Amino acid sequence: MDELELLKKDWKTREQKNPQLSYDDIYSMLFKKSTSIVKWIFIISIGELLFWSGLSLLTPKSSYEILDKFGVTQILWGINIIHYIVFIGFIFLFYKNYSGIKVTDSTKQLINNIINTRKTVRYFVIYNVVVFVLTLIFINILYYLKSDVLIDYIKEQNGSIYNPSTFLNYFFIIQIVIGVLMLGLLLLFYRVVYGILLQRLKNNHKELEKIEI
Amino acid sequence: MSKELEHSFVTQLQANQNIVHKICRLYTNSTDAHNDLFQEITIQLWKAFPKFRGESKFSTWMYRVGLNTAITLYRKSKRTIDTQDFEAVSFRISAEDYDNTIEEQLELMYDAVKQLNDIDKALVFLYLEDKNYKEIAETLGISEVNSRVKMNRIKEKLRTILNP
Repeated sequence: MDELELLKKDWKTREQKNPQLSYDDIYSMLFKKSTSIVKWIFIISIGELLFWSGLSLLTPKSSYEILDKFGVTQILWGINIIHYIVFIGFIFLFYKNYSGIKVTDSTKQLINNIINTRKTVRYFVIYNVVVFVLTLIFINILYYLKSDVLIDYIKEQNGSIYNPSTFLNYFFIIQIVIGVLMLGLLLLFYRVVYGILLQRLKNNHKELEKIEI
Repeated sequence: MSKELEHSFVTQLQANQNIVHKICRLYTNSTDAHNDLFQEITIQLWKAFPKFRGESKFSTWMYRVGLNTAITLYRKSKRTIDTQDFEAVSFRISAEDYDNTIEEQLELMYDAVKQLNDIDKALVFLYLEDKNYKEIAETLGISEVNSRVKMNRIKEKLRTILNP
């Protein structure tokens, strides 16, 4: 194409029009903070890891007391240990992927590495959501099967309950509503945050894939 | 030692800063965004500099880091006002009034290039910088054959943009 050759010639002469930064201008930039998306993905990922690990600490003591009365403490301990092993595995993978992101790789490799790092964290979150939902279901089934123990426990704590069956109905409805609400908020969060951060990356990834077909 | 490193880096970047400015011009549409991207590329270059072994030329290494930053790492800020459309429109009006001189044709070409997607822009940029297909392929991580094919398609694309 002749026009592109024309542009090529002009391209070089345009160099003079560029602003020229002084030594000091460039030097001062070395100490500025990066705003790259990798940095944001890293910060948000760490936040997610902390959030999900912190969530288990927030479980109120009373829950444990009830579970103790249900006689499932030992099973829960076993599950917890497996959970933490998986958790450590995820942290290791995340760290490994993150440290593999190098701006000196080819564009395609770089995008792949960023997306893989993100995938690790996404799987971690999915894993946690699944565990969260399963736990919620498991515990509610327990509550349901052993509602007499639950009622007794609450009576012990709060005195009498006016109408046990109405109480149970409300109790389960509230459990379900809170569970669904939390899931909804989480999904919204992921759509918004990662939609903003990853859209451009994904588009460029698609472009590169298209070239190779 | 770190002072030496800083000095060596800043001196080399200052001498080669045109490369970064050219990338910024292609990927941004305002002075603010240009400066933002320039700074981000400088930071990324500086972070990668300790591992730069001098196996390739400093400038070659800069192309890769610079383009990677513009394509994958840089987050366009929302404040950036897109002035491209306005410029393109006002230019077309003036192009009707005068003969289609080379100068005007070039302006239209630049506009057309700016309308390409990030990856296509990178190919055109490297092409304009007189890089061969092997270098283009290595920088983007695609095969040499495919980079040739892609370049031909981009030329067609530019033709369609210029003669709709």
